Amino acid sequence: MNTAPVLEITGLSGGYSLNKPVLHDVALTVQPGEMVGLIGLNGAGKSTTMKHILGLMSPHKGDITVQGKTRAKDPESYHNALSFVPEAPLLYEEMTVREHVEFTARSYGVDRADYESRSLQLARLFNMEDKMDTLSAHLSKGMKQKVMIMCAFVARPALYVIDEPFLGLDPLGIRSLLDFMMDLKTSGASILLSSHILSTIENYCDRFVLLHHGRVIAQGTLAEMNAAAGGRAQNLEQLFYELVQGGK
Amino acid sequence: MDLRELRRKRRGRFMGSLLPYMGYIIQSGVAMVFILVLIVFSAWYTSLLRDVPQDLPIRWIMLVLLVPAAAHSGFRTYLQQPDTIFLLPQGHRMREYFAPAWVSGNVWKLLRLLIVLITLWPLYIRTETKPQALLATALVLALVKLLASCGLWRELTMQSRSAAGAYQLLRWAVAGLMVAAWLWQPPLQALIFIVLLGAAYAAALAVPKRLSVPWERLIATEKNQGARALMVLGWFVDVPGREQRVYPRRYLSRWGSGLPWRKEKAYRFLLTKSFARGDIFGIVLRIAVLSMLLVLWNRSSYLGSGIYVLFVFLLGVQLSALRKLHSESFWLTVYPLPEGSKGRSSVQFITRAHLVLAAVTGWPLLLTLGTRPLPALGTLAAGILVCYLFRNHLQRKEAAPDDDL
Repeated sequence: MNTAPVLEITGLSGGYSLNKPVLHDVALTVQPGEMVGLIGLNGAGKSTTMKHILGLMSPHKGDITVQGKTRAKDPESYHNALSFVPEAPLLYEEMTVREHVEFTARSYGVDRADYESRSLQLARLFNMEDKMDTLSAHLSKGMKQKVMIMCAFVARPALYVIDEPFLGLDPLGIRSLLDFMMDLKTSGASILLSSHILSTIENYCDRFVLLHHGRVIAQGTLAEMNAAAGGRAQNLEQLFYELVQGGK
Repeated sequence: MDLRELRRKRRGRFMGSLLPYMGYIIQSGVAMVFILVLIVFSAWYTSLLRDVPQDLPIRWIMLVLLVPAAAHSGFRTYLQQPDTIFLLPQGHRMREYFAPAWVSGNVWKLLRLLIVLITLWPLYIRTETKPQALLATALVLALVKLLASCGLWRELTMQSRSAAGAYQLLRWAVAGLMVAAWLWQPPLQALIFIVLLGAAYAAALAVPKRLSVPWERLIATEKNQGARALMVLGWFVDVPGREQRVYPRRYLSRWGSGLPWRKEKAYRFLLTKSFARGDIFGIVLRIAVLSMLLVLWNRSSYLGSGIYVLFVFLLGVQLSALRKLHSESFWLTVYPLPEGSKGRSSVQFITRAHLVLAAVTGWPLLLTLGTRPLPALGTLAAGILVCYLFRNHLQRKEAAPDDDL
């Protein structure tokens, strides 16, 4: 069995300014077929970590590998192995939903037949069939978020980096997304997911990484983290309060 | 809250953001070419005035050039999306904020109208048998301009978009009729007609239901105005992060879909869609039509050759703006596009579009192949040479992106 991590971050320090790093010695891994929840307060460093993974920021120290590749050595393979769902939708106003999905599929080198079957499946799953030929500028915020999710999922890379995916989604959309992520996980894909809705992700993530002030203060399964924290928490939310606020 | 001061600060900030580019505009070759064009135009116009052709349709020429300058209006409000939250409570006082926008918008547009009128005037008085007085014409045009500005403001506030569209057509029709009446009729009859039509138009403007402050529409209009200013700047220097206005253009929706299904062509797909639905497409189309008509009109003289080469150059300037279209695109950083494919696709797309437009605008020259084969073929070759020089220029820019701003 292949146990090499899909994503491996070691000793990552980074941020917007060299003098004021946001992240301090962050280390985490995501194994094949694993969903890891990246949790923390606002400003804890979750989005900054993701930006470093995506190559939007350069680490001050440390390494990031995706499927054993670094961005510096092999940028095309590195980016081919991951797709991203941002917290706020970023769409080209001049393109329709279908064209966004097609552009993503072309960029990732997805086979045309696969693109057609996947885009059909995703449109059905997210109730977007009648919006496929609508310009993105004319979509609601929730629909724009669905387009982002569809784009990420049409590529089928080894790793999905997903930042606050539930914002703006309707309850059906949230359920569809969670079910689809579980299917992807079962088929061997890895997911790094950031969310504040702890009660939702508690039942879906295999492990959690808790960031606080740019440092990893706890990571592991819910049971492992709970045991390390004294074993008093009943659920992820309580554990989160324990670890971040000392139970206050 | 001092709303006038707020607008003044925003205007100052916008102007300040343009200042760093001024040096580059002065240095740029495009600025030099525009000055050259101005000199050539002045020489051509002077020779035309010395020897005005018989039966020149001067009233139609005046109408065609003066109506757009009179009917087209615009205001810079500098409104932003957060204003729908933070300025909303000031809705009842926004007249204070908009007043300077209305005044400065009209001052600049009146100046533009005056420049067009004064440029045309020598030709008009030499050609027209019964010319109107200059001062009276200027006053009438100013009146039409102000009425059109009021009309535009009302259109922006109308609740129904279809009504606003209809009123936009009405504004152009009213302006056209007023200017035509002044050019074709004796002054008194023309004035009576203009006053009556103006009153009817003003009454018609009062009919549709309106919003007190159309926040969303004004913000969208402002976004377009700002983008247009940056686009003009983009003719001279590379302006990063320029957003473009989007038009649905359903008839072009299939364009780009037939591109080969390869990663190398992914950016070309995006660029094709952006071009098909963006403002650059509309601009180059208008330039191409104007060029074609002028070349057709002057096809039997060297003036036609000069016009053709000049317009091929102007088309190249416009198309070159496509190179910077997605310069700050988030997804182009994240998606695994092959290294250099963006630059290669841009240069290839721009060059092909340029060559197609050079061919389309040059076809009137083929009509003279029988009578003047050498000048016709030489002019077309010069057009192709301009396309080639543009391609080389773009390739150099792609090879040394640090030269960009």
